[in-house]
Amino acid sequence: FTEMPTDNFVESSFWNFDALFQPQQHPARDQHDTFFLQDPAEAPELPAGYTAKVKKVHSQGGYGSQGYKYEWRLEEARKNLLRTHTTSASARALHRLARQEKFSPVKYFSIDRVFRNESLDATHLAEFHQVEGVVADRGLTLGHLMGTLRQFFTKLGITQLRFKPAYNPYTEPSMEVFSYHEGLKKWVEVGNSGIFRP
Amino acid sequence: DEEFNELCFEFGLELDEITSEKDIISKEKGEEKAKGASDTILYKIDVPANRYDLLCLEGLVRGLQVFKERINLPRYEKIIPALGEGQRLIITEETVRVRPHAVAAVLRNITFTKERYDSFIDLQEKLHQNICRRRALVAIGTHDLDTISGPFTYTAKAPSSIKFKPLNQSQEYTASQIMDLYRTDSHLRHYLHLIENKPLYPVIYDSNGVVLSMPPIINGDHTKISVNTRNVFIECTGTDITKAKIVLDIIVTMFSEYCEKPFSVETTEVVYPNGKTHIYPELAYRKEKVKSELINKKIGISETPSSLAKLLTRMCLKSHVIGNGNNIEIEIPPTRADIIHACDIVEDAAIAYGYNNIQMTIPKTYTIANQLPINKLTELLRLDLAAAGFTEALTFALCSQEDIADKLGMDISATKAVRIANPKTAEFQVARTTLLPGLLKTIAANRKMPLPLKLFEISDIVVKDPNTDVGARNYRHFCAVYYNKSPGFEIIHGLLDRVMQLLEVPPNEENGYTIKATEGSAFFPGRCAEIFAKGQSVGKLGVLHPDVITKFELTMPCSALEINIQPFV
Repeated sequence: FTEMPTDNFVESSFWNFDALFQPQQHPARDQHDTFFLQDPAEAPELPAGYTAKVKKVHSQGGYGSQGYKYEWRLEEARKNLLRTHTTSASARALHRLARQEKFSPVKYFSIDRVFRNESLDATHLAEFHQVEGVVADRGLTLGHLMGTLRQFFTKLGITQLRFKPAYNPYTEPSMEVFSYHEGLKKWVEVGNSGIFRP
Repeated sequence: DEEFNELCFEFGLELDEITSEKDIISKEKGEEKAKGASDTILYKIDVPANRYDLLCLEGLVRGLQVFKERINLPRYEKIIPALGEGQRLIITEETVRVRPHAVAAVLRNITFTKERYDSFIDLQEKLHQNICRRRALVAIGTHDLDTISGPFTYTAKAPSSIKFKPLNQSQEYTASQIMDLYRTDSHLRHYLHLIENKPLYPVIYDSNGVVLSMPPIINGDHTKISVNTRNVFIECTGTDITKAKIVLDIIVTMFSEYCEKPFSVETTEVVYPNGKTHIYPELAYRKEKVKSELINKKIGISETPSSLAKLLTRMCLKSHVIGNGNNIEIEIPPTRADIIHACDIVEDAAIAYGYNNIQMTIPKTYTIANQLPINKLTELLRLDLAAAGFTEALTFALCSQEDIADKLGMDISATKAVRIANPKTAEFQVARTTLLPGLLKTIAANRKMPLPLKLFEISDIVVKDPNTDVGARNYRHFCAVYYNKSPGFEIIHGLLDRVMQLLEVPPNEENGYTIKATEGSAFFPGRCAEIFAKGQSVGKLGVLHPDVITKFELTMPCSALEINIQPFV
């Protein structure tokens, strides 16, 4: 797995939400969950051609999808924030990959800090680290995803795994990965995964 | 209980907690108050955000029963009343500027019991919170049809000319009075701002001038439904027509089960300002064709087309094999507004198959692994710095404005810091532009540890940069502090020399590094130097100024070093 650059804590709503098919009316984009920036408040530059495609898919659909059918606004996408997940860096990496002359299969990873506007308590911090992995190739299946996750967790010493259907705006199918915690004597969520929507 | 947990897990629901009313009250108010409360077991279930059809007991049970193949998915029918007999909702022009869209439907001859009534109200609240985005996008109103007579008019009027008795109140109020009345109401005050400052407020009247509701705030008391209501008029108004239609479809499909003719909904005609009419609810059934091969390939299984069709039918997506046997035609019911792409269908097929039944395989992708150079450098440095006797710290990237400016004797505008618009506390106002405050705060929190305290951190700082596409960028900094009874400038200097040695940067002017005496606001005058390497200034080192030390609540002298390591990659 090759490491992806994640050297920007500050991200535009475009890369953090819109390019990942998270609708502009989604509650996670609220003031409560995301750190929005006062200064710099807006991203000066967004990729022109790609932005137009994202707008179309949200408002009208595309690539086989019905879309969300709402009015997509550019100002909303320009809003700067502190990234809420490293998937925004994955989106950038995949966009770069898409613009290559010839497609080559890749495996990317990153481990870096993310920010969520939460009150601090025993199980929540406002900033924490996420480990992210992406595999891009032809003919990948859900079985492959499960296999890769199994190997990853085995290396960490976690062997009892179960997968549960979940929902992410940008992946379908999505799975939450659960592992049995001997100390707590129950299944706890150790990860989230999915196959990116076409 | 175990069985139910398993079922939820397989289906994609999370069984959060198994409790009872008695337990809940016990936990919140103590055992005494809980005496006499119900002991019946309550399940708290987490429903995914895109499944509006599972938000009420009726929908959840229906979904699970179809999943277990105990019942067939009911077919939702529209009953279009004879000409002149159906209800009509007329929308006037005035609504365009405040809340333009409205849809409506009728549930005929419905039988409520206390549980069904509670569930009905509960579903509306859940939908309001969820897809309606706290009533901003759509607001739902339900009314006892027998207390009013159509046709109904949805219009917008000045606040002073709207007067009615709101739900559960004993007298009439004008709209402006209603705003004041609910300003302190813990539930409704959050919605007042949606229409408060508009010149006209939305309002729905019947043909006799009785107010049905003033969306999105409150319904009228006159039309309130009770357990004895037999005919319900439902209206959804809002700013997003797609969502209004979805919300209406969900409510009627869920509760039409209790109508005399189960799963049948009476339509209403909505008349637009331009004269066009539309029949609601749409209750549209959509047909999609998917290749069975596609489903098998995406999941990594190999099921026959007919077994795939059976799996999908279990997920409320009625399917059958068509054509020459390779394609599956799927009928998407109005309850599944979340199916917007073939991949949604693939996911449902996988869920029905059982995620944990899928064979795990490793993709045959050959790639060469690589670490980012900056991270590789960071990892190497960290090990050697620990070997030099310094302890690593990991601190927050967000801090208060004082931390990076006033406490270091600088002005905030000179720092080019990135500011946060909505911090929850003063501790998270800006993103750090230097690692120093974090380390000093760490020392302050660890005063009881034996001296000397030698800490370091290699991590990102953030500054504004108009040249990037978002307006800011990260720099990887390395910072070390030495805290002891004597400042130990020579120790910090020695650390710098060691780091440069590790980075293979020789200590000379032409192609290496040098230090030049300078002044720094955070440093003791005469004990500060700037470090130059690779043709630029990369940082400073020195003894910290006593003011800085006091402001961070420390008592001993401290020397520090901070450099940007990006040029050394």
